[in-house]
Order: sequence, then C-alpha cells, then structure tokens
Amino acid sequence: MWNGFDVMEAKNFEQGILDCIAYMLTSARGLIDEPRIYGPFRLADGVSRLCALLAENGHKDKEFLENLQKKIDEKKYSVMTDQEAFVSLLDDVIIDITHMLMKKSNN
Amino acid sequence: METAEAIFGRRSVRVFQDKSIEKEKLEALGKAAVWAPTGGNSQPWKFVFVTDPDTIHLIKTLSPGLLGEPAAIAAVFSRRKYNADKMGPIGETLALMDCCMASQNIMLRAWDLGIGSCAVRSFNQKAVQEIIKAPEDCTPELLITLGYPGDSPNPPPRDESVVEWV
Repeated sequence: MWNGFDVMEAKNFEQGILDCIAYMLTSARGLIDEPRIYGPFRLADGVSRLCALLAENGHKDKEFLENLQKKIDEKKYSVMTDQEAFVSLLDDVIIDITHMLMKKSNN
Repeated sequence: METAEAIFGRRSVRVFQDKSIEKEKLEALGKAAVWAPTGGNSQPWKFVFVTDPDTIHLIKTLSPGLLGEPAAIAAVFSRRKYNADKMGPIGETLALMDCCMASQNIMLRAWDLGIGSCAVRSFNQKAVQEIIKAPEDCTPELLITLGYPGDSPNPPPRDESVVEWV
C-alpha cells in the first residue's frame, strides 16, 4: 500500500515514477535550448503521463484522472498548429481541476 | 509512389499502430539514408535502427519530444570530428547538413512504404549515446520514430511566399 494510493502493481508504479523523473529532468535540460512554447507543452504532457500513471495504479480519482488525460491528449498537439486552441485547452483543464479541488475541500 | 506524392503526402506521425515493421522495410530505409548526398562524398554519419521494445522504451523515457509508441527508431548520428579532419573547419557544419538530407531520405522512403515517421530533436543526446553505446566521435542528431500510422494528421500551413525569383 502506497501512502494515499491503492497501488495494484507497485513495481509498475515505481517504474512509472522513475520514468516521470527522467521525463522531467530531460525536459528541464532540453528546454534551456528549445522554443519557449515547448515548456507549456512539456508540462501539459507531463500531467497527462502522471494522470495515466496514477489512474492505472488505483488512485481514488481514477475517472477524473482518465478524463483529464484524455482531454489533454486529444488537443495537446494543437500547440504546434493552433496556440489559441492549446491555451484554451489549458484554461479548460484548469477549471476542471479547480472544480475537483473545490469538491474535495467541501467534503 | 511518385516522388511528389511522398514529398507532399508525408506527415509527422505521432500516433502509431501496434504493429512491428518488417525487417526488409527497415533495411530499405537504411539504404535510402546512405544514398543521400554528402559534401565531398565523405558520408560522415552512422545510422542505428532500434527495434528492441525495452530499448525503445528507455530511449523514449529520456526523450521528452518522442511521442507515441513507435515500432522502431532510426537514430541518426553525425561524425563531426571525422568530417572536420577530412573536410576542414566547415566539415562539422557539413556533417550536420548531410545528416539532415539523409533523414529526409529516410522519412520519404518510409512514407513510400506506408510507414509514418516523425523527426525528433528533443532528446537527451548524452543519454541516447549512452544507451546505444555509439562510438565517442558519433553525435546523435535526430531520432526518427517509425511505425504504421495510427492517424492521419492535417498538415500545418506552409508559407510559400518565401520562394522568390531573381
């Protein structure tokens, strides 16, 4: 049992965390030289990866996390072609997480 | 497939089918790569095709720009020092340009064979060098993800006004 999570497959979870760490570190290094807009993309993509990892490993808010991941994955590539759509995606999912957090704080 | 069809039809594919690529097709990509032009015919490059799923996963983990689940990765390495020794100070730049031309050959030939690709530069060069155990004088310049397309992305607009006549 991982603190706060019902970890079904601890090994996969632990590997997933290491993968996330590698993603964040290599992103940090790469973004020093990369276009500015890649930063927001990497963060959004990172959230998608984290949602997948937590949902696959029994997080209590699995449904919310899966929906969040789906929403991000559906539109994240708009960053290359339509930055307004990408910004709108971010605004949209921020409202989603805000509502989620409000709901939790009221419980 | 006509050359023009490959040039205008190719897309950067980031969603792939869960299907491996036949070895002979990957060999055809390697052949297309080495038939690209190079300054002074110096061929300052090396190409490594990665098909082992665990190695692909490892590379993906250390390559933030590598998206989707490709069936293979073509890693394009330059040999800058070798080329500078052979071609003089401009050799390093030429090596990079030669690798770019070879990469385009790989991607066009891939499209010709029904394979999608995406050129990725957002990866950690030192980590990839370590994983592939490339010789020290080989620098990984591009990773080209390869796989049967899982979607058909719309092409972003191109600005054709940059083409001028004198």
